[in-house]
Amino acid sequence: MAITETSRLTSGDILLSRIDEYLFKIESLFNLIAGVVIFLTMCLGVIQVVGRSFFNQPVPAYVDIIELMMATFAFLGISYCQKLGGHVRMEIVLKQFKGRAFWIAEVIGTLVMMWIIAILMIYGYEHFLRAFELGDSTIDGDYPLWPSKLVVPVAFGLLMCRLTVNLWGFVRLVIRPNAEPIGIPVLETVDDQAEHEIRTSGLGDEAITERSLRQRQGAE
Amino acid sequence: MDENLLIGIYGSIGMLVMVLIGVRVFAAAALTGLLGCVAILGWDAGAGIVGTIPHSKAVNYALSVLPMFVLIGFIAYHAGLTHALFDAAKAWFGWVPGGLAVATVFATAGFAAVSGASTATAAVFTRVAIPHMLENGYDRRLAAGVVAAGGTLASLIPPSAILVVYALIVEQSVGALLLAGFIPGVVSAIIYAMLIVGQCVLRPELGRPIKSPPLVQRFKTLPPITPVIAVVGIIFYSMYSGKATPTEAGALGAFVVFVIALFRGMTVGNIMDALLETAKLTVMIFSLVWGVLIFVRFLGFAGLPQAFAEWIVALPLPPLAIMVLILLAYTILGMFMDAIGMLLLTLPVVYPAVIALGYHPIWFGIIVVKMCEVCLITPPVGLNCYVVHAVRPDIPLGDVFRGIGPFFGADVATLALFIAFPEIILWLPRFEGMGAS
Repeated sequence: MAITETSRLTSGDILLSRIDEYLFKIESLFNLIAGVVIFLTMCLGVIQVVGRSFFNQPVPAYVDIIELMMATFAFLGISYCQKLGGHVRMEIVLKQFKGRAFWIAEVIGTLVMMWIIAILMIYGYEHFLRAFELGDSTIDGDYPLWPSKLVVPVAFGLLMCRLTVNLWGFVRLVIRPNAEPIGIPVLETVDDQAEHEIRTSGLGDEAITERSLRQRQGAE
Repeated sequence: MDENLLIGIYGSIGMLVMVLIGVRVFAAAALTGLLGCVAILGWDAGAGIVGTIPHSKAVNYALSVLPMFVLIGFIAYHAGLTHALFDAAKAWFGWVPGGLAVATVFATAGFAAVSGASTATAAVFTRVAIPHMLENGYDRRLAAGVVAAGGTLASLIPPSAILVVYALIVEQSVGALLLAGFIPGVVSAIIYAMLIVGQCVLRPELGRPIKSPPLVQRFKTLPPITPVIAVVGIIFYSMYSGKATPTEAGALGAFVVFVIALFRGMTVGNIMDALLETAKLTVMIFSLVWGVLIFVRFLGFAGLPQAFAEWIVALPLPPLAIMVLILLAYTILGMFMDAIGMLLLTLPVVYPAVIALGYHPIWFGIIVVKMCEVCLITPPVGLNCYVVHAVRPDIPLGDVFRGIGPFFGADVATLALFIAFPEIILWLPRFEGMGAS
């Protein structure tokens, strides 16, 4: 979008931007919890190997514990990933659309996602409710299963909030295609994608691109 | 035609349309799966089955290895491996024609193996290796090409997340796949090295040998690269001996890299960033897995994979010709789509057909993953080439793509080699009694 109307933010735009910002804070927290659980999974794996190999003392019900922990990193970050445009998709056809047509395609894509996630959220909640009411538990350790199953509707619920914000953002751009994009997932060109890969790889200044270097110097 | 099969075909076409207009792959697959199951089984039974799939399929111990491998990748850089690997490779291989480029191949292979990330490897070695090569008068295209190509060695040498995903989707042994990737990964690196040496012997101006340090100095370059040897060794030994599960081996590997990275000065901020990125990539893979498994459940009810396999086998073409056609289709698809997404989306239908043609499941896994990697250097997307250009805009994108040309040729030759001699792939897992069928 070559020309943006940055100076003409309506009160609705400001509200959307605020909601987007707050939602991202919750998403970041959820994703961080997932990250910390991954770290704990690593620690537990090491304790298991060391305990079993050197002390003949494996972690009791190790597989049960790992499976209970898995629900967090399998689902909690799903909305964070959506915000950052991390879920895989094919963009080659989409990018042929320009202006309003592009944003209409994005609206359709968002509605499709909302459709499936809403159904999975409801059935995921029922799945949790059954486990909760029947007192479902793991085989080895007899740990209750419902907390792990509850993660699914919670994560999908947050994703529904994110998708609603996305939908609002895209519909706004359908109406005003040249407005500054707000509340939509990060959209990347191949160049951006390359830049992003470098930025998020933990490579620091070693692999900084000339573009980032210029931006940083400009900021200083 | 059977009514369910027809629903399966319409469903698959519907999903392709959704994917083409840019719907996230996991959502397109899940929605198609849901609607298909509902069409075949009715709302209550169909939606009831589909509603339990995300939790029941994602919360599976076998999948817990994925975040471990991803985590290793995001902390590998902090263990200071890049310079150590390049220095060691330079010391040992610098004396051959095109020595610095050969050293880059082996250093990138080592780092890519541990980090598992092709594009990140290409990015970092653009900074580490290209300046050295250019200072020594190396051809700009060769320098850029070798870095972009070197990154693609990530997916075969263990630990490799994409091989785990393949193993889980087609229900093969994760250990067998990880072992099977090792020799093809090393062979690919050696073929790259031979290509460079060949080019530089014919045209010495492309890249001249550099003076190697004395033997004592050479040995001194080895201790700093121990984390790489440790990680690959741990995964390898665990699979080889059966003494640890892939998750445990991955956890141990991640822990070793983590401790070394802490000693090398990784900060709390670095750790947080690594965990956030690991969680994001992990949830992306998990979403694809359960989304595609919903689709797979629908395909099963529709009987589409069996029907496709029967159709493929009945084609009046030799199996090899069909395999080449399948690989060509992957090349085209891979130009536009992320490797894991492409594999997950196509394997449920393609895999049974490949097996019906008489090909080995583990062999096909390595071939198809190698294919995905080749797509990282082919235009129009060729992400690795864009990465090199993004880090060094003074090297025009056209030069990077021209530089990659010979490596693409080498990859085609490597694939032909693996097709002609499947034992290169199958020897190691067979030796260990895995996937011996």
